[in-house]
Amino acid sequence: MGMMRLAVLNFKNSFKNYLSLIISLAFTCVVFLNFQNILYSSAFDVLGTRNREYINMLVWMTSFVLGCFMVFFIWYSTNVFLVRRKREIGIYIFMGLSNQKIGQMYWIETVLIGLSALGIGLVAGMAASGLFQMILFVVSDLKLEIRFCSDIRSILVTVAVYLVIYMIFAWKGYGNIVRSSVLEMILAAKQNEYVRQNRFLLIGKAILGVVILGCGYGLALKEGRTNVMGNAFGAVVLVTVGVYLLFGGLIPFLFWTLASNKLFLYRGTRTLWINNVIFRMKKNYRTYAVVCVLMLCSVTALAMGFAMKERYDNMIRFENTYTFQLISSRSDLDKPARDLIEGESPIVFSSTLPVLSLDGSFVKAGGNYSKYEFVSYSYLRQLARDTGMELLFEEPKEDEVFLVSHLHLLSLITQQTNEIIVNGKLYRQTGEASVPYLGYLQESMNFYVMNDHEYEKLVPLGEELYTYNYRIQDLERFARIRDNLDVLVEETKENHTGRVAIDPQSNEIDWIKMLYSICIFMFLVFIFASGSIMFMKLYNDAFEERERCKVLRKMGIPQELLRRSVAAELLTAYGTAFVVMAVSSLFSVGALGKMMYTNLLSVNVVSVLVVLGILAVWYGLSLWTYERNGEIE
Amino acid sequence: MKDNKVAEVKNLVKSYGAKGFLTKVLKGVDLEIQKKDFIAVMGPSGSGKTTLLNILSTIDKPTQGVVMVDGRDVSKMPNRELSKLRRDKIGFIFQDYNLLDTMSLQDNIALPLAMSGVSGKECIQKTGELARMFGLEEHLSKYPYQLSGGQKQRGAACRALITEPEIIFADEPTGALDSKSSRELLECLRKVNEHGQAAILMVTHDPFSASYARDVYMLRDGRIICRISRGSDRKEFYDRIIDVQTSMGGDFSWE
Ligand SMILES: Nc1ncnc2c1ncn2[C@@H]1O[C@H](COP(=O)(O)OP(=O)(O)OP(=O)(O)O)[C@@H](O)[C@H]1O
Ligand SMILES: [Mg+2]
Repeated sequence: MGMMRLAVLNFKNSFKNYLSLIISLAFTCVVFLNFQNILYSSAFDVLGTRNREYINMLVWMTSFVLGCFMVFFIWYSTNVFLVRRKREIGIYIFMGLSNQKIGQMYWIETVLIGLSALGIGLVAGMAASGLFQMILFVVSDLKLEIRFCSDIRSILVTVAVYLVIYMIFAWKGYGNIVRSSVLEMILAAKQNEYVRQNRFLLIGKAILGVVILGCGYGLALKEGRTNVMGNAFGAVVLVTVGVYLLFGGLIPFLFWTLASNKLFLYRGTRTLWINNVIFRMKKNYRTYAVVCVLMLCSVTALAMGFAMKERYDNMIRFENTYTFQLISSRSDLDKPARDLIEGESPIVFSSTLPVLSLDGSFVKAGGNYSKYEFVSYSYLRQLARDTGMELLFEEPKEDEVFLVSHLHLLSLITQQTNEIIVNGKLYRQTGEASVPYLGYLQESMNFYVMNDHEYEKLVPLGEELYTYNYRIQDLERFARIRDNLDVLVEETKENHTGRVAIDPQSNEIDWIKMLYSICIFMFLVFIFASGSIMFMKLYNDAFEERERCKVLRKMGIPQELLRRSVAAELLTAYGTAFVVMAVSSLFSVGALGKMMYTNLLSVNVVSVLVVLGILAVWYGLSLWTYERNGEIE
Repeated sequence: MKDNKVAEVKNLVKSYGAKGFLTKVLKGVDLEIQKKDFIAVMGPSGSGKTTLLNILSTIDKPTQGVVMVDGRDVSKMPNRELSKLRRDKIGFIFQDYNLLDTMSLQDNIALPLAMSGVSGKECIQKTGELARMFGLEEHLSKYPYQLSGGQKQRGAACRALITEPEIIFADEPTGALDSKSSRELLECLRKVNEHGQAAILMVTHDPFSASYARDVYMLRDGRIICRISRGSDRKEFYDRIIDVQTSMGGDFSWE
């Protein structure tokens, strides 16, 4: 019989055994394909060049995680095939096959498995793409036309990346078989992974893990103005490695410590499940770590989605504070403008505010802008009264300023300075608020609020501009009023008059919705990935439990206790991953909050709770199948 | 002497297979186990020894006949009660040890006691006592894969004894052991039995192992065909067992 036929036969026979591995491999393809789909979808065309930086950063971080994910799975699966094939090697040696031949057989079989996984993955991936798209449309009521369906480029990239990684590991396995001695291969048959661990190695890993994770967390929250992207990427790498070491070191060490305290251990089902957890942790910690990182990704994506949504709504509100705004060096435009508007529609509220614009050479502050804007406190108080907006602060003292800024979608500058030097005098910044006093204008202009007296002193240095802001009632008249105002603007050209009109119908910032949708999409992909990986692992492990349970049942351990022990064991598996994820999310979402200049704690909590809910479903599912596969019910 | 009876079967019949293709494995076995008994059941392969032991130990159900354990009729008990009975009154020693590979020897021994809700302190203390008795003190922290077959089987015996059962069932406990390990285990079992800690019912192929018992029952074709009791001397008992085996003829296979 030819090598090829033997291998194909083997492949057919083992297909069922390897089904869970094939499915998890296929799953990596699904996730990867879907991510590629986003990259090549029209989504980014909508975004255009705007905010390209943030998007690139997100793409990089996600690619890194997905890459790790794929390498891990392929490595893991090919290794399982390798170990199993080595165990059966005895038979082939007696059939008189050389190492090369056995290696070839392994290679063909592994490649067949890989290709079938790829095939399944591509088909399932395209189906999932369509499904996710449907979900997205429901979730985000997008008006934009976005197509997530599979692009030929994304399929090609997925196939290429997958095959390259897969082939590397298949060749590695082949080399391994060719190089190994007969004795070693037969011994592999008897090898089993055992529980005993080197204590010092464990402690070493535990310490290293905590340190690296700590550095990762630190880096995530580090303030910076230049290397924020580098920091974020570094944080992702460190946290990934840290989590890996945590599951390989600290967590088994903790359980191991618990298990050596016999007074604690010998109580009810603890003896059984804690020992089982230690046993499993040794074999599965890589999987747990991957699941944990994926969960962290999913929670961060969800939090980002929520935050984007919230920010989107706020920005709409922010921009729509006024319908029309004029800016001019003339101080007497209120009357003519008001007359023009009121001829068409009543005014809901209006305000005027003089803003002092100083050349950047007079000012030393955090940023490095060409102009800085200042406002006097009593004018602002007047504006607040006129518009009904709240004034969150008291009049600044002689040496104080208060910064009024806009809402950031994302910012790569997270460092805050709270001092500013104007014309040689140092002012302390007492706070910052983003109340839309100047509506849309404020989007492109932050201003410092000063004590009236100080403000007067600075006026001669710069140019005072007057802003006139109106919110109209009858939005139907928008276009006509706009045209009328343009006439006024034209008439006062020599005073640098400018006009802003915020069309309530426009969807200029709809691209944020886009981002929001992508976040939700990533969340779905990640949470599904993490849940299903854990599920698969436990699904497989359950079969090992059969023998053990049979013995225990014979010994008269009641069914009830066995089930409770299993429930506790699975809860630990999901629970540890969840807890590590929840803690880490404080930092990942915290970093996000920093970039968005806001506190995302509540968003964080909600996201974690959503993930918890979904995990609870996975847990129930796992428990159910575990009891069936382990014949515990 | 009803009080001393630990387990009993009367007219036990067990058959396997579907209707019309029934094979009777046990064809009317009567057996009584007293509190101080140390019984060995011998017989050719396929004669129904394991079946008998499984039924006595409530793991299997009889087709006909009465099975009494601890004075109660087992056939009418619900599963939950059976578990409880097995946990509290019965200890098991299996041919292939069946220690859980996920935990240390100490945890293995303590497991049944801890699971039945006894305090940790008592578990530790009893584990220590039994381990000393079976010469396992130095091995307590080892995992099963680090132990020899004999040590594992003695560990299994400790696990069987820790709940202070009334009776120990052992199916070929020395089946996988060499003669030295067998002897160590059997000595321990005899000590346990002589101290009145538990009755023992042991299935074995090996006349040497059987000679440690006080009575040997010969099972053939689903019936007990004879009973040999030990005198004072083990060596002489051993010779007698061999004699009976030879007289029973060639079909007494050694597997
Ligand atoms: N579950 C079963 N279904 C059908 N037949 C069975 C079953 N279990 C045992 N038997 C049959 O019952 C007979 C007795 O089996 P048993 O295991 O009791 O023999 P044994 O005396 O323990 O043999 P050995 O010394 O080889 O262990 C055998 O012929 C066996 O094939
Ligand atoms: Mg048997």
